[in-house]
Amino acid sequence: MHLRRIFAGALGVMALASITVLGASSSAHVAKVAKASCSTSIAIEAPFATGPATQLGLEQLHFAQLAVAMANKANGTSITLGKDDTGLNPSLATTRTNSIIASKAVAAVGPAGSQEVEAVGPLYAKAGMAFVSGSATLPALATSGANTTFFRVVPDDDIQGPNDANYIIKHKLAPAGSTILIIDDQEAYSEGLVAVMTPILTAAGFTVNHQSYNGTDTGATLQSDFSSLATSQVTSATHLVIVPWQSAGNAQQFGQTLQQQGKTVTLFGTDGTDSPGQFIIPGTYVSNFGPDISTSKSAVDKAIVKGIKKYGAYGAFGVPTWEATTVVMNAISSVCKAGKTPSRSNVLAAVRKTNISATASAMGVPIQFKADGDLVAKAGYLFHINSKGTYVEIADK
Amino acid sequence: MQIFISTLVSGIVVGCLYALIALGYSMVYGVLKLLNFAHGDLYMVGAFVGYFAIQWFGGATALIIPVPLLIIFMMLIAGFGVGALGVAIERFAYRPLRNAPRIAPLITALGVSFILEDSVLLLFGGFTRNYNTPAFLPFRQSIHIDGVNIWSVQIIVVVVSVAMMFGLRELVNRTLFGKSMRAVASDREAAEMLGVNVDRTIAITFFVGSAMAGVAGVMSGLAFGQISNIIGFLAGLKAFTAAVVGGIGSIPGAMIGGLAIGLCESFSSSYISSQYSDLIVFALLIAVMLVRPQGVFGQPPLQKV
Repeated sequence: MHLRRIFAGALGVMALASITVLGASSSAHVAKVAKASCSTSIAIEAPFATGPATQLGLEQLHFAQLAVAMANKANGTSITLGKDDTGLNPSLATTRTNSIIASKAVAAVGPAGSQEVEAVGPLYAKAGMAFVSGSATLPALATSGANTTFFRVVPDDDIQGPNDANYIIKHKLAPAGSTILIIDDQEAYSEGLVAVMTPILTAAGFTVNHQSYNGTDTGATLQSDFSSLATSQVTSATHLVIVPWQSAGNAQQFGQTLQQQGKTVTLFGTDGTDSPGQFIIPGTYVSNFGPDISTSKSAVDKAIVKGIKKYGAYGAFGVPTWEATTVVMNAISSVCKAGKTPSRSNVLAAVRKTNISATASAMGVPIQFKADGDLVAKAGYLFHINSKGTYVEIADK
Repeated sequence: MQIFISTLVSGIVVGCLYALIALGYSMVYGVLKLLNFAHGDLYMVGAFVGYFAIQWFGGATALIIPVPLLIIFMMLIAGFGVGALGVAIERFAYRPLRNAPRIAPLITALGVSFILEDSVLLLFGGFTRNYNTPAFLPFRQSIHIDGVNIWSVQIIVVVVSVAMMFGLRELVNRTLFGKSMRAVASDREAAEMLGVNVDRTIAITFFVGSAMAGVAGVMSGLAFGQISNIIGFLAGLKAFTAAVVGGIGSIPGAMIGGLAIGLCESFSSSYISSQYSDLIVFALLIAVMLVRPQGVFGQPPLQKV
């Protein structure tokens, strides 16, 4: 009898222990299941492997990878990032986009180039899938109505173009009434900026000489283009040359051609040429939609600077992509917190409602979108390349 | 006048590089009747060899050897390296197809072109690299003619190119190998029957042509700065145009064709627009083909009666 009691007691304790352990593991399992249900994937489209802007594309990729790692840690999510190289080429971007749409990805970051967004926007719209770009700035991308699921965390060229033109006028980068040469690379982004800047400069009394070259040329043919432009278009009356290009390498080659021919003009590049590793002609101005966070005191920027170190040198081009990726990650996290499984439709709805404060944003401005996907806030940054080839942000614009 | 002189200098520099690549096209076509579309990519490989040679010796801003030695070394290593690559390509990709229908080696050549481009892409990445030549050959090292700066690098390109072209002419006209090459180009079977080692002759032809393309790649990097895995395609296309305009299979034709294409490109960019330079160059090709299908220096095909 006594033994039976002991045995029954032991069984009871064991049962209690089992229930406790099972209950705990069940809770853990539930927690795990809950966490696992915020497991999904997103994709990034960027020119990180091929094409004329691989340096910038690689920067975008690294910042996106960092953003995913930081958001997963902060939100307790398990979201993976698929990588798709587009070579800044609309045809390749279309192929990649179709592949992304056929996958399980619920949203995308990129693509980088405006011409690529023109090509893939309707595809994403048809799939009901949000895609957030950190660098496509052509104004019509948001206003055309074809890209209904497109968002961007950068101001469009209707902001950058006038900002740059007004800076040139205000700070007299060219003498009044002189000739300003502006050269486009026959891409949508470049031609868009030329179209915005030319009337402003003309109205200010400058003579605008608009020329073009084929941005897809390489090697000797490219050098022929640049030699000829420098020889025939950069005259003694030219004091400023604006190069709104997507290739920093080309901007560097053109700048060196000018130096070789003994032409002393000021160069002005736009965000596509912002690459401290490639475009380093002293005296040049370079505008961008992304800030220099290397000296920023904000907690977000410090965390990014710390995290991005392992990828090596970077410029201001990657920060907007970090922001774009964070928008997507936060949208997915908000869906999960509401107890739902992330899908393209609910993530799209969450992206539309994005509301990141300026202090929490790496861009230095609040991140909110208009109905057409454009950024509500206006931001723009300008850098000057000093004699050592270093980019110095201009505070007073 | 300044615009004219500057455009002329630019056209001659670019033309010399096209000529060096075109010579390879013409030589290979002469002996094998093969259009080696991978030839432009050999020029690209040469450019990369030169770039890494600079890095090996400390980089553009911290060179550990004198600049003249560096340039000689770059050209030698690119010449021999790319020449050897050309021989390997001939041995493994083209020789087995020597008696196949003409379309087979043509398609193979396209395949080799993609392999070379993508191999460089996989090995070294897609981003452009820059020789940063002004760091060790500053722009102030120029001669000045009527207000036009002619950079020392441009002079080096022209001098080396002309020397190589004349060297090739002497090789072809005055050496035993040259005689063998001309014999094989004229009639391969007959040359073989007369004791010419056809395989070796073709291999050496590929070596010489590829070496010239490799050296052209180095000079392109020195003069223009930027290199990437895709620079070979357009350069090869322009050089092919030059070879055809000059007369495919003709060595003087390739030289003149290259210079003509370079000058045409340069002058049309300067005096019309750089947007139309490609259009004008290829229109020239069509015009020459319509008027003289065998090219300016080419021989009309013999008709048996």
